[in-house]
Amino acid sequence: MQRMPPQVLRLVLLTIAIVATYGVARALLTPATFGRYGHYRGAALEETASRTPLYAGAKACNECHDDVSGKATKGHKTISCESCHGPTRAHARDPDVATVKLTDNTCLRCHLSDPARPPRHKQIVTIEHYPGDRCIECHLPHQPNKSP
Amino acid sequence: MKNSCSRRSLLALLTGGIGWLATRPIAQAAKTAVKHVFASAKTPEGYDPTKHHWLMCIDVDRCIGCGTCAEACKAENGVPRGASYFRTWVERYIIKKPGSNAALRGDVVVDSPNGGQGGFPPSLVPRQDILKAFFVPKLCNLCEHSPCAQACPVGATFDTPDGVVLVDPTYCIGCGFCIQACPYGCRFMNPETHTAEKCTLCYHRITRGLKPACAEVCPTQARIFGDLKNPTENDPLQEFIKKNKVFTLKPHLGTEPRVLYANIDKEVR
Amino acid sequence: MDVVNLTQLGADAHTVLNHVEGYAYPNETNILWSVLIVIYPYITGLVAGAFIMASLVRVFNVSALAPIYRLALLTALAFLICAPLPLLLHLGHPERCLQVMMTPHLSSPMAMFGFVYAWYMMAVLLLELWLEYRHDFVRWGRSEAGLKGLFYRMLTMGANDISPRALAFDERMSIGVTIIGIPSAFLLHGYVGFIFGSIKANPWWGNVLMPVIFIFSAIVSGIALCVVIYNELSWLRRKDTCDDCLDAMGKFLFYALLLDFSVEGLDWLHRLYSADESIHVLKQLAAGKLFYTMLVGQLFLGTLIPLLSLGATQLMGGQIPSFIRRRIYYFSAVLILAGVLLMRWNVVIGGQLFSKSLRGFTTFKLELAGQEGWLVGLGLLILPFLILTLFVRLFLPRDHETPAHGGGNGDIHPATLAQGRTGAGQVSSVAGN
Repeated sequence: MQRMPPQVLRLVLLTIAIVATYGVARALLTPATFGRYGHYRGAALEETASRTPLYAGAKACNECHDDVSGKATKGHKTISCESCHGPTRAHARDPDVATVKLTDNTCLRCHLSDPARPPRHKQIVTIEHYPGDRCIECHLPHQPNKSP
Repeated sequence: MKNSCSRRSLLALLTGGIGWLATRPIAQAAKTAVKHVFASAKTPEGYDPTKHHWLMCIDVDRCIGCGTCAEACKAENGVPRGASYFRTWVERYIIKKPGSNAALRGDVVVDSPNGGQGGFPPSLVPRQDILKAFFVPKLCNLCEHSPCAQACPVGATFDTPDGVVLVDPTYCIGCGFCIQACPYGCRFMNPETHTAEKCTLCYHRITRGLKPACAEVCPTQARIFGDLKNPTENDPLQEFIKKNKVFTLKPHLGTEPRVLYANIDKEVR
Repeated sequence: MDVVNLTQLGADAHTVLNHVEGYAYPNETNILWSVLIVIYPYITGLVAGAFIMASLVRVFNVSALAPIYRLALLTALAFLICAPLPLLLHLGHPERCLQVMMTPHLSSPMAMFGFVYAWYMMAVLLLELWLEYRHDFVRWGRSEAGLKGLFYRMLTMGANDISPRALAFDERMSIGVTIIGIPSAFLLHGYVGFIFGSIKANPWWGNVLMPVIFIFSAIVSGIALCVVIYNELSWLRRKDTCDDCLDAMGKFLFYALLLDFSVEGLDWLHRLYSADESIHVLKQLAAGKLFYTMLVGQLFLGTLIPLLSLGATQLMGGQIPSFIRRRIYYFSAVLILAGVLLMRWNVVIGGQLFSKSLRGFTTFKLELAGQEGWLVGLGLLILPFLILTLFVRLFLPRDHETPAHGGGNGDIHPATLAQGRTGAGQVSSVAGN
């Protein structure tokens, strides 16, 4: 074998050492589930799914309150309870935990007049619609077309 | 001086070492490939991501801009409370009447104060100047060819087998490339975790048979959610797809967004 | 009816986003890529440009530039060492930076960084420097005492043969490395241009000319940097600069700048002519938010003035006295360096100042201290010069002025070396052989 110039020998050895170090590092540092479904850590799916939900969902409310939801009328028939009452998981776990207290603003959030709201949606201009009265004086919350 | 014998054994050792290293990832992949179903205790057990295909669609005519969806999302997912961090938000478009007779429509004013949380304050545009106005909920468009996943240098954001685009917060290096790459502005850098964050379609809820928080609380069913692989009876998503002519946002970019918008206007970006 | 609360909420919401004009998606209202991401392409551009300058000597045999060959390479190395710093400082999780090399996502241009950087550092720049300096390391290792001598001996890596055959081999290999190095330099900086050019979501960034513009402006900045550093070093050492060398650098600087200006002009011409839907917001961006940095800074001061003054030296070079020509080169180079930095600013920051809804703008607030503030930026720009000072001390000793590796003159006989050593400031005459 012809004598390799000393420069080349040293460079070849250095290159092999660098590539080998990279190979070892890559084998050791790649996470275990990487590549299971694609170019990402497969375990990330389970980790993302393991967060505890906050909103209970209408079905959970209906387990105890189906009399209310059963009687709901008009647009309020299809609204989820938590839309107005807020997240109620804590309450679903322990019914003694109170839910959020509702005010007129809860109604106005959806029913205040705005030109961007579809015309067929029921909306009011507050100074023209019985100013001074509370909403629930004339509208049952779950059956808005009926009076108390 | 090295003699040929020790040179050969050195070479053999090197080859053996490289061979072992090369087969390690294959062995690992084989071990983990068997498990496709969620198995750990805290997750919805038995969920198989390959058996679902989630989608949310929007009916713009139904949105009343109450902002309950934006609030619910922040509460459900622990999103930072500032005005620059939204996984979903609502925009209001106000198209004014044209100034001159020759023009079709006037200027467009778009706003999203606080992402729409708490509803929208009265617009500064006088009612008599308004030709048309509507609300548009925005979220991750669940692209078929996600530019965000394409851009991620490490594989921390990805398309899941069940149609969601997720971020792996323990793997994300926080470079922000995916945030720049998203044409829809649906990603942000979480100032607390220093990783990219976005709408996960409430992955932790949908894997348990619940709806995403925004769809759950929407009072007018403007957000229609469903599973394309497992449609229910009278599935609202199937109805939506059958009934409406639909639009997607920025189709010219080729991202193939899966979120379909019905009854949208040309001014929406 | 309780209307007050809603209006209050609205008023609060409006005051929160005071720095937004028009409409921007809520998530876009804060700028994400800031000073650090402006500085990174600037630094890699300087590296690529300085290397191209050096390659002009090696591969294209421009003997007039020989006096700055080693200086250009050392400059490239000093800046290359600093290149990863802005990236590491910018990352949300710098401790996870190795992931880019362990699980690189091959569809992402950013994933190339680790490999291209490592390749360029090791297989191009360090290798070229080693081949260039090896015989000097051997001699200095023998003649210097103590730690410094040990340091030089270590750098030889035990390859102590400095016979003419070995040195000729070094030279041949060096030419090969430079030939590989030129496309490598283009890759090192071009991929950054591609990072921006590939973002179809952003009309300011996502176009096909972006990598080309980045590369040409990098070459211009690299040549300008060599002019400035050569002048500074000569001034510090009370030595005269070589007129031929400066004239050659001035010539390359002018033509590179002309080319860069043409490509950027083409970009603008095309945008204005084809006028797609983004043109309105981009025109407002250029004339409004970017007026000072782009029109006054990058265009007028950083491009037009240097073009005119360098053009004058090219057209009427013989009639302009050399001391004026030298000052024109120096001040043009300084203006160009500022102009190219502003170009990076206009691209990176400018691209984030307007909304992807094409309906509005946000404001950039550059803080003083903090992870992405003025001070950090300034520090990052100064650091390469400090490193270069160290390199000059170690590798460009005042009394060991090295002979030029002239074009075609591969004769590096030890006698010639000795001759070159004793004649300080005689570099140009050797180069002229």
